[in-house]
Amino acid sequence: MSTLKNIPVVSHEKPSGGTGNLLANVFDELMAFCRSRSLFMLHYCTGCGAIELPPAMTSRFDMERLGIQPMVTPRQADILLVTGYVSTKTLKRIILTYEQMNSPKYVIGICSCTVNGGMYWQSYATAKKLNDYLPVDMYIAGCMPRPEAVIHGLRELMENIKKGESDNWRDYYRRYDHYLGNQQRLFGENWQTPTDIIGEARHYDLMGPETLGPHTALLEQHQTPLKPFEMTLGLADLPVRKDEPR
Amino acid sequence: MTSLDLLLILSGLTTLAGFAFGNHRAYPWLAGIVLTAQIVILASMPLPMAAGFGFEMFGHPVGWQMDGFGRFFALITLGAALASVAYTGGEWGERYAAGGKNLRWLHGALAGNVLAMLLLLASGDLIAFFIGWELTSWAGFLLMAQGGERALRAAMRYVPYAMAGAMAVLGGLVLSLTWTGTLDLSQLVMLVPGLANWKLALLLALFGTGFAIKMGLLPVHLWQTPAYAEAPGAATAFLGAISSRMGLFGFGLLLVKLITLTRLADLSFIDGLFSARDLIEWVAALTIVLPTFTALKQNDARYLLAWHGIGQSGYMLLGLVIGDATGSAGGLLHVFNHATYQAALVLSVFAVMHRTGTADLNSMGGLVTRMPLTFLVMLLGIIGLAGLPPMNGFVSKWLIYRSLMIEGRPLLFLMTVLGTLGTILSVYKLIHNTFLGQLRAEHEQIREAPWSMLVPMLALVALAFVTGVAPGLALNYVNEAQAALGLPVMAHTLGGVESPRGSLDMLWIVGVLFAGFGIGALLFYGAGGRSKRIHQLDNYAGGHFLSADVRYQYSDHFYAGLMHRIGPLYRGSFTQMEAALASANDLLASLMQAWYRQAVPALTLLIATVLGLAWMIWR
Amino acid sequence: MNMIELLTELAVMPLIAFTIGLFMVLMMRKIAAKIQRRVGPPLLQPLYDIVKLYAKKTQNSHGLVHDIGIIMAVGGYIAAETMLPVPGMNGIAAKSGLLALAYVIMIPSLGLALGVGQCANPNGSIGIARALTAMLAYDVPFVIIIFGASWFYGSNNLIDIVAHQQAGGIATWGAAKMPVLAIAALFSMYAMLGKQPFEIYVAPAEIATGPMVEMGGKYLGGLFVMQCFQLFTASAIYVTMFLGGGENWPFFLVKLFAIIAIPMSMAFVFPRYRTEDVLAVVWRWPVLLGLAGVWLVMH
Repeated sequence: MSTLKNIPVVSHEKPSGGTGNLLANVFDELMAFCRSRSLFMLHYCTGCGAIELPPAMTSRFDMERLGIQPMVTPRQADILLVTGYVSTKTLKRIILTYEQMNSPKYVIGICSCTVNGGMYWQSYATAKKLNDYLPVDMYIAGCMPRPEAVIHGLRELMENIKKGESDNWRDYYRRYDHYLGNQQRLFGENWQTPTDIIGEARHYDLMGPETLGPHTALLEQHQTPLKPFEMTLGLADLPVRKDEPR
Repeated sequence: MTSLDLLLILSGLTTLAGFAFGNHRAYPWLAGIVLTAQIVILASMPLPMAAGFGFEMFGHPVGWQMDGFGRFFALITLGAALASVAYTGGEWGERYAAGGKNLRWLHGALAGNVLAMLLLLASGDLIAFFIGWELTSWAGFLLMAQGGERALRAAMRYVPYAMAGAMAVLGGLVLSLTWTGTLDLSQLVMLVPGLANWKLALLLALFGTGFAIKMGLLPVHLWQTPAYAEAPGAATAFLGAISSRMGLFGFGLLLVKLITLTRLADLSFIDGLFSARDLIEWVAALTIVLPTFTALKQNDARYLLAWHGIGQSGYMLLGLVIGDATGSAGGLLHVFNHATYQAALVLSVFAVMHRTGTADLNSMGGLVTRMPLTFLVMLLGIIGLAGLPPMNGFVSKWLIYRSLMIEGRPLLFLMTVLGTLGTILSVYKLIHNTFLGQLRAEHEQIREAPWSMLVPMLALVALAFVTGVAPGLALNYVNEAQAALGLPVMAHTLGGVESPRGSLDMLWIVGVLFAGFGIGALLFYGAGGRSKRIHQLDNYAGGHFLSADVRYQYSDHFYAGLMHRIGPLYRGSFTQMEAALASANDLLASLMQAWYRQAVPALTLLIATVLGLAWMIWR
Repeated sequence: MNMIELLTELAVMPLIAFTIGLFMVLMMRKIAAKIQRRVGPPLLQPLYDIVKLYAKKTQNSHGLVHDIGIIMAVGGYIAAETMLPVPGMNGIAAKSGLLALAYVIMIPSLGLALGVGQCANPNGSIGIARALTAMLAYDVPFVIIIFGASWFYGSNNLIDIVAHQQAGGIATWGAAKMPVLAIAALFSMYAMLGKQPFEIYVAPAEIATGPMVEMGGKYLGGLFVMQCFQLFTASAIYVTMFLGGGENWPFFLVKLFAIIAIPMSMAFVFPRYRTEDVLAVVWRWPVLLGLAGVWLVMH
């Protein structure tokens, strides 16, 4: 069984910069600092760990003094908190939610269940290791972890972000094929989310050696295309292709 | 031949040409050129300009003369007709003709409307006025009836209203002849204000009813919405832009010129507390609020706009009746402003209909990616209709608000603003349900409207924008109209109004607004990270996987919370009143019929004969 | 006044407004924290949030109108700030006036509404429908108040209104001369700020923050900027109409923050109204007060 130390926290590269341009470095440091001091979290309250979050947020421990506050939709959030066991059905939603978040984004697994399945180890319907499917930045183990532990974990994450070490979200783009493969193994080969990870990786220049692979090829076979509707003029009086429907 | 003659002759020729070969490809070009020429002639005409022709009727001379007031409306008429002809000229007209409808009748009726309106606007006496009035009504009917079965039914509903209105106007005409002995407007202006109060009240009631019906004032507004909404494309735009303003033209003549506003204020119902002027102001204010909130409930884009057309006419009348320099300028300017953005809005709705085949607000959505220019037209149009800067609708409404502030009329002010707020709600629903939200699968292949339709729409909103930034351009003509009516003339600058107690300079406001947008864009594109377009199904749904076969769009019962509160206030009272009047009429008619045809036919005949003889002898 | 001076004012006024707005947001969050016996965010928290949001690496756009909506929301307020006189600077206040200002600040809301509509999310559309309904609610008393103030000062020009009030110290302040209207205006402004119990259009647990549902990154950041402007604008309009405007910066700031602090100290102990109840409350009390105030002013 893995211990916390053995779970790979992959960090491929520092954020761009470090090229000797002092101004750019200062700017990057500043951005990293702001990122670490302003974390909006989306708590995906799947299991019992959720109950430890209210005390962490309210008057006893007050996350807001660290700049952490709850948000409602994935678009607004920086942290995805998965607070307990993850059933196969739930995992689909978690993956969709994660993919809808804007990078830089961080995943925190709270409770033993996210680490290794916990007491659901023998369950046929529970995903055991969250980081097979999503790049987890921080595990807060315990059954359940006390609010102190949650706060401690969040402070660690802040520290990592400030140092530029916590960028596993890049890993999801760079090794998408690996994650997708695990997802396909669980959900079947028709698995598809309405988000376009490969397109995003291309758009933001986040492609890595394993972004594309056999699994993404399989995805492309089954995928219903999700090209965004570009604004088109398509004026009738301009010459149009013959096959274009009128 | 004077230039007014030329104007009318050109209009008559266009009408003939329209009926004769309106379906020919060259007709729209010809009509466009003639209309442009007419606009040039009209704009450069020295005023007042009398017509070279005329005749006598019952010993009264009948003649035509254009003054600044008439010219203001006539210019709008010609402009609206130009836009409508251009719009009809291309693909829209082809499809209309291909659908088995008669393009010649449409073009002929449109040109006929212009001719009738010009005759009305240039009338120099009450007979000419009445001729113009009747022609306008019937030409309007002809245009309304073109759109198919539903349109015909709506137009038939208009007929009794129009007849009642015409009878009322005719009655007023006869009474003013009896009491003053003349029908010439220039003489009536001096004689009518001297009449006794009850005579003035009767004239006001008769003429006022006729004009109110044409204008669609409460409570005689019900005919207008279906009649305007169901008419075919460009006809709806023309009707909505200018046709019912003929009623306002009548009110301008009647209230300001003949009766005069000071005499109107003397006609008090409850000693000194509530005068005829107050009554008209409140009718206008209610006409702003109630139809606007009726529009809010519509689910058909055309009906929504038609209801707003009624609502906006309340602003015009209110501004006119307040009667100070600012208010009347606002009221008159609103005629022009409303014509520009309303025509553009109607045309954009019909452009969408042209592509999607529907105007139902619950079966569209997301069309902005497919018809972006039409979206732009509708966006600028609704900003104008809602009366927000930088469009011209804001300027005219600002003038009306300002004059209500200066005159100290808090409740009327509240009503006008309530109308504006209601409009904002309803037009957002219009643009949201049409262009925003989720694109339906069946609309994914739709393309932008053709140029022949886009150019008139874009020209109209461009005009609405330019006269919003520089309202001084339009206010020049408004000043002429004010002077012709004998109202105080509002001093203005190119950008609006200059006053130490509160000026409005649209040049600066719009300049700063666009500078603000520029900085906003710099912040957005410069300081923010790159963005990537995503598919509409990549959307938050609480973790649910969206698919194209399930609609993810909010359109029906759009203001549910509001309707929870004000919904019970919609009682359909006016519809019930109309139905009650109609059945009372039916009852009366069948009673009469029963009396003279079945019960005592001989006696009826005898009574009629005796009365007829007695009248002849008494003469 | 020469052109360079004017242009400088036009550039500086929005900046000042934004800075003050940032601290207003901080104060608002601090007040909430204190009421809930928490420590609350650090001094620069609002700035961290905005910087972070703008600097997001990946951002999702639902189309051009989505972008334009945010640009209009921020840009409209940038323009509106130049129409509000602050101590030493008048901008283009003389050329626009109270009435035009009231309509210019609807432009950002319209922009936001368009942007949200383009997101194709029904939660957002419901949010906008509710926001517009709320606007219909609070604008009715607001325009009555504008009418009353404008009638009382005999002017629509904000510079005149400020000068009129500063002529005789506190005794000539609008709040001293028109206390009923001032109370109604406070109520109406409270509703305008859209905090509890009037936050029908955000309603996080019900419609997933309504208009903000699909906003992330710089889109949400734009809305945060807009919120700063909105707080400043609401407060500054109130201070200009009723509290003598700005004689000098220290006093002006105290007044601005005090005016925001009053509703905020009440807001965070309330739950949320239903939409129709907002209409009922706002159309009853502030409207009645406003009409009574106008009657008093006019007689």
